[in-house]
This record gives sequence, C-alpha cells and structure tokens, in this order.
Amino acid sequence: MKNKLSKWLMVASVFASFGSFPQVMAQESLDINALVTQSEKAAYYSGKDGRSDARMMIVDAQGRKQMRQFTILRRDVADNGDQQMMVFFSRPSDVKDTVFRVEKRTDINTEDDRWLYLPALDLVKRISSGDKRTSFVGSHFYYEDVSGRATSEDSFTLKQETDKSYVLKAIPKLPETVEFDYYLVTIDKATSLPVLIDFFKGESDNYRRVEAVKVEDIQGYPTVVRSKVSDLQSGGYTLMEFRNISYDISLPDDVFTERSLRNPPRQWLK
Amino acid sequence: MTQLFFTILICLSITFNVFAQDEFDAMDDEWNMDGWEEEESKDYSINGFLEVAAGIRLSKDSVISTDKTLADLRLQFQYDYQFDASELSFTADTYYDGVQDQTRAQIREAAWQSNLGFAGDWGSKFDVKLGQQVLTWGTGDYVFLNDLFPKDYQSFFSGRDDEYLKAPSLSAKLSGYFDLVNIDLVITPSFTPDVYINGDYFSFFSPLAGQQIAPRFDVSSSLKPSSPEYAVRLYKSIGATEYAGYFYNGYFKTPSSITEAFEPTFSKLKVYGASVRSTLGVGLFNAEFAYYDSVDDSNGTNPYVPNSQSRWLIGYEQELVKNLTGSMQWYLEHTHDHAALIDHSFAPEYEVAQNRVWFTQRLMYRAMQQTLTINAFNFYSTTDNDGYLKLSASYSPVDTWQLTAGANIFYGEEGHTFFGQFEDATNIFARFRYFY
Repeated sequence: MKNKLSKWLMVASVFASFGSFPQVMAQESLDINALVTQSEKAAYYSGKDGRSDARMMIVDAQGRKQMRQFTILRRDVADNGDQQMMVFFSRPSDVKDTVFRVEKRTDINTEDDRWLYLPALDLVKRISSGDKRTSFVGSHFYYEDVSGRATSEDSFTLKQETDKSYVLKAIPKLPETVEFDYYLVTIDKATSLPVLIDFFKGESDNYRRVEAVKVEDIQGYPTVVRSKVSDLQSGGYTLMEFRNISYDISLPDDVFTERSLRNPPRQWLK
Repeated sequence: MTQLFFTILICLSITFNVFAQDEFDAMDDEWNMDGWEEEESKDYSINGFLEVAAGIRLSKDSVISTDKTLADLRLQFQYDYQFDASELSFTADTYYDGVQDQTRAQIREAAWQSNLGFAGDWGSKFDVKLGQQVLTWGTGDYVFLNDLFPKDYQSFFSGRDDEYLKAPSLSAKLSGYFDLVNIDLVITPSFTPDVYINGDYFSFFSPLAGQQIAPRFDVSSSLKPSSPEYAVRLYKSIGATEYAGYFYNGYFKTPSSITEAFEPTFSKLKVYGASVRSTLGVGLFNAEFAYYDSVDDSNGTNPYVPNSQSRWLIGYEQELVKNLTGSMQWYLEHTHDHAALIDHSFAPEYEVAQNRVWFTQRLMYRAMQQTLTINAFNFYSTTDNDGYLKLSASYSPVDTWQLTAGANIFYGEEGHTFFGQFEDATNIFARFRYFY
C-alpha cells in the first residue's frame, strides 16, 4: 500500500489539472506575464477554498485499468501563492482511508511539506520532497501537472493567437531537470484556462499531451471537470473527473492539520 | 483442508474478476463513470483481501523441525460504518497458519471513533477512539523508541506485510487539540505485550542455557502484569518542524525479566522521551531520545531484571535520483550501570555492550509507473558485528491483485548477539494478495 502511495504525491490544486504557467516575458502589445498569471489563477486558485470528489482511470499500454477515487479539500493562503490541501482516498480498497496532506509553497527556495497517513499502521509518514515530474499516484499525471509547475521555471513566448485562444511556447530554464525540451500550451481566451499542453522532445517529437476535455461553470468559476493525459509513445493514458465541486465553503483551519489524517472531517467529505 | 481453501480461493477469484471486468466495461464509454453517485451515498463500506503466503528457511535450524517459516492462507474482512459525526471500524483477519497447523483469527480493529463536539464547544477540541486498534507514533523507520505499542516480530521476521509488524491492542485513546500543544492519551487496561520470538517459528539464544533454544514458551498468566498501560504524547508543529514529548508507564513489552524460579516475566518500565522531525535541505531529518527507566532495577544490580537504558536515534532521508529514495539512521542504546550489570549477571559473557550501535540503510525504488516497488532495508550493528537485511519487491499492475517476494537475511559473527542469534531464521518468501 505504501508502495502505491508514498510517492504519489500530491495532489494538488485540485480543481485543475494542468501544468502551470509560469513566467513571463513581456512581449509586444500582449502582456504575457499578466496572461500567465491570470491563467494560473483560473486553473488553480478558484475561490478562497473548495472541495471536490475526484476519480481517475489509469489505462496502461496493454489496456489494463486501475481506478483511484478521492476527495480533495483545498484552501488558498493567497491567490497565486501558498496552498493547503488534504486528499482523502476511498478507492481502491488497499488505499482506502489513506490521507495526504500537503502544504504547497510557491517560494522557489522552499520545498512543499507532505505527509501521508497509512491507516493499517496508524502511521503518519512524512515524505521528503522529490522530483516533481514523477507519476502522481501511479497515473500518467505528474505531480507537477496537478499541483502546478513553478512559475519561474520556463520562458514563454507567444507562438500563435486566434479568435479563441493563445498558444504559448515554454522553454525550461534548467533543461537538465526535466525530460522535455519545450511545451506548447493553449490558453482559452474566454476562461483563461489552459486547455491543451503538448510536450516535445527535440523539435517535433510530441510524446505527451495534457488536455481539458470538459469545462463547466461552477459558481461563476470556469472549472476543468474532465481532463486527460496521454503518453503518446506507449498509448497509455489517464482520465480524471471531478464531481460535487463547491467553492468558498469556509473550511476552518483545523481541517488542514494532523488531526484530519486520523479523524477525517466528515462534514466536508460528504 | 488446504485444498479446500485453494478451491474457494480460485472460485472467488473468478467471481471477482467477472465483477471487476463488468465495472470497467461500464467505463469503456470513456467517461461513463456509472455507479459513482450511488456508491458515495452509502454509509458503509466492505473491503478486504484474500492472501496466500509461503516462506522457507535457507538453512537448517537444529532446534526447529520444519523448514517452513511462513504458510498463510488469509482472509481479511473490513467493514466501516459512518454515522453523522462518528465512525465504526471493524477489521478482522482469519487465517490458516500452515507452520503451526492452526486456524487463527485476529481482530485488528473494532473501534468507535468520534469527536466530542456533542459535549459542547470544549468537547469539540477532543476526539476519542475506543476499542481494538493499531497505534503508532514516533519518528523511527523500523526502529521504535517511544512507541511502546505492541509489535509482532514473528510476522516481521517471516515476511508478512509491514502492516502486521504492528499488533492491535484493546485501548482507549483520547486526543486533545489546543493552540498551545496537542495531546494524545492512550490507556490500555490489560497489558498487551509484543508478539515476541518464542520458538514457534524461529529459535533464539538463551544466555542461561548458553545455546540456541525453541521452547515455544508463553508467559504464564499468573506472571502477566495486571495493571494498565498508560502512554502520553504531547506534540506541536512550528513551521515545518514537528516537536513531540512522550511518556509511558507500563512494562517491558517482551519477557526480558525472569523470576527467581527462572520463569520469564515482564517487569515494570517507565519511558520518558522526545523527538523532532523537520526538513533539511532537500531531505527530511529526525531525531529521537528515550530514557527507559527499569523501575525494579534502579541501580542495575538485579540480574533478574534489565537495566535502565538511554536510547538515541538520528535519521535522514532524501530522494537520490528520480524514483529512488534513500535513508539512513544511527541508533545508540546506552545501558546504565553497566559495571553492575556485568558484576551481577548470570552470564556476563553474553551481556550487551555498554553502548550498542546500529546503522540502518533503506533504498526504495519505484518503477513501471509505480506498479513495481523494490525495498532494501539493512540493520547493521558496528558493536555486535551482526545485522539483518530485509528485501522485498512488490508488483501490482491492477487494483485487484499484488504479488510480493522477498528475503529476510540475518547475519552475525557470534551466535548470541541480537541479530546473530537468528542466522538460522534466514528465509525467502512470496505472497499473493487478491483484493475484493
């Protein structure tokens, strides 16, 4: 059980499922900095806090399927800033009642704090920070796809603009720390949400794709409720769906503490 | 008997496979996740698994007749019921133990957990958990200083899943949460010892006999303590650093004392300790201390009762490369009044060194989209020149099953040291678990 979970990490900002949009370089008339910040806020910081049920279906290259089901509680310390998250797993049965707690730090010099509660051992295990481009709970999503890639890690340029969207090209500043050479992200003008990200090796090898499949308006916040990540080389993919989403529900401080690991706050999980 | 179990197992597997397949077929219309709403509205859940496990000794043990070290056919049944503000949890294992040729049952959890909010605002700061439960605290990895809750070393040495290292106890736990500090208070009315090595599966060295024995002994009920055990933890986080203080009032968890008639028994123990855990660079750092006050041998001169000890632990963990995590721990066990211990001992040549040191190392590697996990954990004592290497690989490409194989390798220069005495217990094992 530990196996599947320990490194799974971190979910994150929940109601969104996409990589982040970092940094910026002012360019011509379009303020890319503002665009990226706006997109990050739309993808990860809707409302002051929120809850959602989530389900993932992981399909490997041979068509074998795995399911993950969990409930996420999230609270923002500040917009585009630190966040607190709790992830309560209910399926599959070997991870039932396992809980993740994350204190996400946006300061590039401070690592996130992460804990994992393993109910069979009654063990609160603290997890060291690690490579964020590793599988999130065994899925094709990387931790970084879910929690957001630090805004300072890439350089962005405008590649294309249509009536409906902007396409930005992002080049990592530290290419040795990631497996891609660049990615293209499509940002929807109407919602500011990133709706398609294609990762490339070399100039033209598009080996990985993250896409928003369905967006709904929840309490006035455009929200990605279905997303998909595909390993375009192997054919494996993961679907993620969010349900029962609500924002601005005034989650109290003590929800985001060790107390909730052992005794989950049931009123927020129903 | 065994054959019957296997037949049942196979039938169940087929049935579950069919169910599982149906469920996924329903999702083949990719986003059609039918059944989700219905499932969430239920107040109860039923889970569990069937497991077959086998292990054998790699060398002969001259005092144990069988080479089998593990032969389990196990059914775990888990039932949880959610009330509005509380929860009932029940987890029971029934298993046929082929090493002992016995069918056994273990209730791992039968507990009610609730917030005390119904008792007013003050009550909302407290949670209780009452009943049979597994309890854990402290900062060590496979090394326990202030965690005096029962452990099952028979399971640990034979290669059962890690969850069985922790044995359940019938306890009441009260947790209070305050701005100043949080507190846990655990009362175990009836003393619950470890499941210690007694010769059932593995033999051990007897300093009195001067040789390896497997008496399959149990402490007679008249020699078992009748007083409750009390365990307290005070803890608080400041920034990324977690601080804790601990107190225990009870008994040594293994029968390390003897009566004047040379019968094994448990003597009184109080433990005072503290720990800290924090981030350090890209890794995690932990340190823990515990003072073991052997109440019945305060000056170390009583040869029937262990001496007091001070125990220290320092650990560090970090990801070494992608998907590979490494950790190390240094552990020191200092025996107080060591000169008095040697002077009064019945077998001074076998007594532990005044300062016993362990180094532990763990490597954990995840591969194949986290469906394969490989663990290597090594204890090595620089003072005893002995150690214990625990290896395991676990593969689970789907939600329904998991295959695990591994080895427990004990080594040492001398036959009387802590790990050296288990050299003949060295074993390999495999387990197959089917979740329903």
